[in-house]
Amino acid sequence: MAQQQTGAVRRKASAYYMERIYPYISILPVALVIALFAIYPIFHAVRMSFYQYVLTKPNQHPFIGLDNFTDVITSYYFRSSIQTTGIYTLAAVTGVIIYGLGVALLMNTKISLSTPLKIVILLPWALPAVVSGLLWRWILNADFGILNGMLYAVGLIDNYIPFLATPTLAKASLVMAFIWKEGPLVAIFFLAGLQLIPEELYEAARIDGGAGWRILRYVTLPLLRPVFLVVMVYETMTAILTFDTIYVMTGGGPANSTALISWFAYAEIFKSLNLGHGIALAIIIALITLVLILLYLRVLRSEETAV
Amino acid sequence: MNKIYQRSLFLVMVALLITTLVVGCGAPAAEAPPAEEVEEPPPAEGEGETVSLDFVVWAYGLETIQDNINNFQAANPNCEINLVNYGWTEYHETMVGRFAAGDAPPLLYGSDHWLEEWGSAGWLDSISSNFPQVLDYDDELAPYALQGMTYQDEVYGLSYYADTIDFVYNEEHLKEAGFDSPPESWQDVWDMSVALKEQGITDYPLILAFSQDEGASIEAMISMIYSRHEGSGALFDENNNPTFNSEGSAAYEAIEWLREAYEAGILDPASLQTTEIPQVQSMQAGAHTFTILPQYNMAELNNPGSGDYVGSFMIGLMPGDSHATVGYVRFYAMTPEAEKMGQTAMECAWNFLEYFGGKTDGEYKVVKRWAVENGLGFAQLPLFEDSDVQEAFGQWGDVDVISAQAELARAKEGLSPWFGTWDIFTRAEIHKAILGQQSTMDTLQNMEDYWNELASE
Repeated sequence: MAQQQTGAVRRKASAYYMERIYPYISILPVALVIALFAIYPIFHAVRMSFYQYVLTKPNQHPFIGLDNFTDVITSYYFRSSIQTTGIYTLAAVTGVIIYGLGVALLMNTKISLSTPLKIVILLPWALPAVVSGLLWRWILNADFGILNGMLYAVGLIDNYIPFLATPTLAKASLVMAFIWKEGPLVAIFFLAGLQLIPEELYEAARIDGGAGWRILRYVTLPLLRPVFLVVMVYETMTAILTFDTIYVMTGGGPANSTALISWFAYAEIFKSLNLGHGIALAIIIALITLVLILLYLRVLRSEETAV
Repeated sequence: MNKIYQRSLFLVMVALLITTLVVGCGAPAAEAPPAEEVEEPPPAEGEGETVSLDFVVWAYGLETIQDNINNFQAANPNCEINLVNYGWTEYHETMVGRFAAGDAPPLLYGSDHWLEEWGSAGWLDSISSNFPQVLDYDDELAPYALQGMTYQDEVYGLSYYADTIDFVYNEEHLKEAGFDSPPESWQDVWDMSVALKEQGITDYPLILAFSQDEGASIEAMISMIYSRHEGSGALFDENNNPTFNSEGSAAYEAIEWLREAYEAGILDPASLQTTEIPQVQSMQAGAHTFTILPQYNMAELNNPGSGDYVGSFMIGLMPGDSHATVGYVRFYAMTPEAEKMGQTAMECAWNFLEYFGGKTDGEYKVVKRWAVENGLGFAQLPLFEDSDVQEAFGQWGDVDVISAQAELARAKEGLSPWFGTWDIFTRAEIHKAILGQQSTMDTLQNMEDYWNELASE
């Protein structure tokens, strides 16, 4: 009897252990890994941003409060680079959404050659950003670039155009490279969203007299709203953080016209060797991104409520 | 009860995580006083004791470097040299990262434009304070090169190669346009360019590698300033105070000339996005007549099989009243790591530095090899008299002009720990002036303001 009771207590304890304690023990390794490789670096970076960290002064790291932040905010480049980043992000995100949606709509139709078309369209996404940047740098070269060669051959231009050496064209070229690189991913997102829309809705719309643009406007686009949200958030982050393409395509020039804020974070750390300034910029970039994402979420949620 | 237990367990977990973070985010090691150094006796110099030293280079002529290392090791069996290389464009960042992480190699390549930065941080060890015999080479070195290897009156390097920034022209183009000699002044460059354009020989006679990511662009710019200025003080005085910010200064004239050349279609607009390799390629293609580039490119420009204009590319003295230009030096350097490794390592380090950048059996063997086989310039002036060097250089240039330009070369003024930061700022400012986004005087004012801001930090 006593043995039975002991056994029952043990089973109860074991069940209690499995139910209450085991989940925490299970997630402990993952929590530690996240703490070590994700949370700790963030805390450490935030902490470092309050100290002077100039790499050429390895033994001098006094606490300087918010000086790193005020230094970068009042620097010669901050205002112009924020402006450049804003223009670039707006153009790149708008462009990539239009391109991605267009490609997805095309891929969603039952046209012949759709399979090879999908492969060709998706190919840029498989390329590393640096390779993509180098490709565009050579394509747009002002002396022997293939784009100039083609435009000249068909008689559209009399002189080769220095695409990457003119501020406006250099910005536009970066946006084009971004759309080319990111477009396929966006197209996949939209294609997935399109394929989830029930065919019956289109049939109902057609019975009601809808066609073409009206169906797109009143059926397709509203039902793609969740995809729009994901795409806008992701692509905004990607655009703001664009660095590798700039590094290989323009080096931030000409005249800093393609120098986004992320470029200056790199320049502060690796050219000026000021880790404190670089980290302060990185934190500012993260905050800007966060604010934008919250803004998107708010706007889209309010629209959903309105609908 | 269960809830209390569950909550307690959760709090314990959170506390554990926070403890991990707090311990991890401990105060920066910054202000901590340096650990008391325990003086250890250097390892005994036993017979046959071998030391292994890492030698870090940027990736150029790796096979030649390794062959030189093999020759050195054969002559110095106690010294083992491990070659490590990084790409040129990543070299500075990579080395700074290694220095900051306390992972400095004992031997490495250095450059005049990083010396102040690395020297002031204590990342390099002066050679002259450890091996005063290095000063015996001073008399044979081009002054600009010696200056480029000297920081706070101590010599930090033995020259790997030294070069000048040269004005290069396509002789065939000039002859076709009716000119039988290179331009002497910047007005000559302008007049010849107009003629070249009018005769349809080139659309844009001048190309410069002025991309914002081109490290040598500041050297080309300073060369254009030096050539308009007699003596020192073209950019900074001896105390590193700016002297360039006035209307009519050599810097003002040089930037104004570029702005007008851009407007007139003399300067290729693509210059603002051109780096060194495309610059050489477009010259080889005959797209331009004039350019400014580091001299080591001449061997490639006139490399047989590289285009229709092989043999046409010539060096002219930098146009301008003084014909002065920039001379720069890359050198073999050592870090305090060698000293930490003991006496044998130090002796190996010196033997290595002297073998590579000095004389062996009375001859600059390695420096001469680079000059003859790769066309690299040199700081060791007696090599200009060497028949092998004269023959090799004669294949792609006029040795007399090369020698004359070397004598007129000067080190970059204003070399300081913040020169690199100022250089990056300056590249964009000069672009703005050339593009007409701001006036030349505004550009110079911004350059001076930023210099003073950096100097005051």
